[in-house]
Amino acid sequence: MLAIRFHGRGGQGAKTASRIVGTAAFLEGFVAQDSPIYGAERRGAPVAAFTRIAREPIRERGIIAHPTVVVVADTSLISDPAARVLDGVDEKTVLFMNSSLSAEQLATQISLSGRVTALDLTEVALQRFGKRGAISALLGAVAGRLVGLRQESIHEAISRELADLGLAPSVIEQNQVAARHCYDAVPVVALETGSRRVPGSTRLRIPNYEPPSRGTARISAAANSLLRETGGWRTFRPVLVPDKCNGCWLCFVYCPDGVISMTKDDRPVIDYDHCKGCQICVQECPTRALVAEREKEGEAAWTAK
Amino acid sequence: MDGEMMTGNLAAAWGARLADVDYVPAFPITPQTEIIEALAKWCENGQMAARVVTMDSEHSMMTAAGAAGATGARVFSATSSQGLLHAFELLYSVSGWRVPLVLVNVSRALAAPITLEPDHNDVLAARDSGFLQIHAETCQEVLDSILMAYRIAEDERVMLPVIVNLDGFYLSFTREPVSIPDAGQVREFLPPFRPAHLGFRASAPHALGTAVLGGSIYSYFRHQIHLASMNALEAHEEAALEFNRLFGRRYGVVEGYRLEDAEDVLVMTNAFASKGKAAVDAAREEGRRAGLLRLRMIRPWPADAIRRALVGRRAVAVLDQNLSPGQGGILFQEIGACLYHEPLRPRALCSFIGGLGGKNISEGEFRATFEQTAEAGIRGKGIGPVLLYTEAEHSEMTQLQVLAAGPRPNGS
Repeated sequence: MLAIRFHGRGGQGAKTASRIVGTAAFLEGFVAQDSPIYGAERRGAPVAAFTRIAREPIRERGIIAHPTVVVVADTSLISDPAARVLDGVDEKTVLFMNSSLSAEQLATQISLSGRVTALDLTEVALQRFGKRGAISALLGAVAGRLVGLRQESIHEAISRELADLGLAPSVIEQNQVAARHCYDAVPVVALETGSRRVPGSTRLRIPNYEPPSRGTARISAAANSLLRETGGWRTFRPVLVPDKCNGCWLCFVYCPDGVISMTKDDRPVIDYDHCKGCQICVQECPTRALVAEREKEGEAAWTAK
Repeated sequence: MDGEMMTGNLAAAWGARLADVDYVPAFPITPQTEIIEALAKWCENGQMAARVVTMDSEHSMMTAAGAAGATGARVFSATSSQGLLHAFELLYSVSGWRVPLVLVNVSRALAAPITLEPDHNDVLAARDSGFLQIHAETCQEVLDSILMAYRIAEDERVMLPVIVNLDGFYLSFTREPVSIPDAGQVREFLPPFRPAHLGFRASAPHALGTAVLGGSIYSYFRHQIHLASMNALEAHEEAALEFNRLFGRRYGVVEGYRLEDAEDVLVMTNAFASKGKAAVDAAREEGRRAGLLRLRMIRPWPADAIRRALVGRRAVAVLDQNLSPGQGGILFQEIGACLYHEPLRPRALCSFIGGLGGKNISEGEFRATFEQTAEAGIRGKGIGPVLLYTEAEHSEMTQLQVLAAGPRPNGS
């Protein structure tokens, strides 16, 4: 069985990518299973999705603990412990990174046990679609290529899955063309699907009774959302061009997360530790004084403290 | 592969669509909402002839469902978790009216604390309501079980409502290949609903569910519900044979997996039974003679089929994905009760509680389960309830407790 685990941020298209690969495999006569996992989902929050491909009925369900391939739509997720991007990754695992850095650069920056390949899908999307948006078709094409699915089935799967989301035929075709490019461009790493180590039996730990101050789901710590720095959720950051700002306060009003404060002379200050990069301020600014700049690994990227 | 990739939720909607239901009162709740969305879309664009009505709560939804069913309409609805509990008092009324509707429950663990992921305390709370219960393992089984549920429910020997259960996330949002039965063949399997005891005609008034004080009359009618439910075992077998003839898939009230020479048997239900089967395969590779019994029909309780599958085994482990506080696993109690009189009952009966709130059951935990069960079988004494919960999970829990507590007031 091939097991592909996708990690992305809400809105990037990890779930749809898992479906594109599932449908493509199904079209090629495999048994396939795909499923997403998320909590109270929000744009930018960590999302994972899973595709399993086999010749026989699939007995596993839910999270993939031992992936053949891990597809990372946003490398900032690696440093977020809650995203668990590297869980179950061993020296056989193929790791695909959507990154402007090369596989070699990534391998030196982050110590990874898997075998890394990379392609800058966000740049492909910016070039081809001219805007920021979901990269599900590109993620699906890359994952499909890495597990050896045919380009034609990926093409057809993109058509089905994006039509299911209600996208216009012209948009679907644009995605198919860009996906074709990524399918051909991604450096392929051969899969090693031999038998893996069988895990021993897990040590169970039955909790003891504890007083209700500990034994009930109760939060006493105040203002703890400050501790959850969500700056890493951004793939793009809003940046102020001071000369253009007319001090209208609209960005302050529209910011859904309250991370914009105003100076005494009516200029916005953005709290990048918590700005999730939704770009509503960029959208609403009447003088285009706020612009979106892509977060780049190793330079401007925000990292968790 | 034939069929198409679809989620358990879409498979549930297809079940209602192919059953040609008349009326769908609805109230949305995660993870059930997609079922209602799909049905609403099909009714809107004319692919289905039903009437979908969004209600102000699950309590109203169930009232409307039962009342519509009492007029002779074929009714479908779906809910989950807190929604099922909100509808609760109506469940007993609807079964008392002997209205054979089908309700899908998408399992989700109950608050508090609140979560979205599944366990079976929601659906098992309804086990005494008079509804029949069929619990599905796969998306295909969701669709097929809804068609079978209508046929069994509408059987004159039964005339009771049915809950078809599927796990949230693990089936509801999971796509796998599903073959869609031919609508013409479904019509052959499921003839139009023409109940003799229900209906609504001018100048022929009925009162349903009337007051009966004194106890003896009440006893008679509630006992009728019990007999009707027991009749569903036979009705299920007939429906399963006919379903297999038409569609080539055979369902039992229970399903055995690698039971032939099994010493130790794990008992499970719902989607995690797939993982249990994989664990049986892994245990077999290490030389353990392990097998699995999946309970598909929970009400009526298929005692004979369970006894046939479990007598003579060394040890039986019931893995309950539910917890009755102060008691333990719900299904463990029922398995124990139906094996008590068997001279060849298993040497050890073990109770495990796993997958609460959708918690994954890892390969290592299944391994521990098989090891402890085998040891209990050798000792001849059962264990439990044992919570499947690991050292690693507990250390994460401890960290969260520190975060949640915050700094101590005096800074100590």
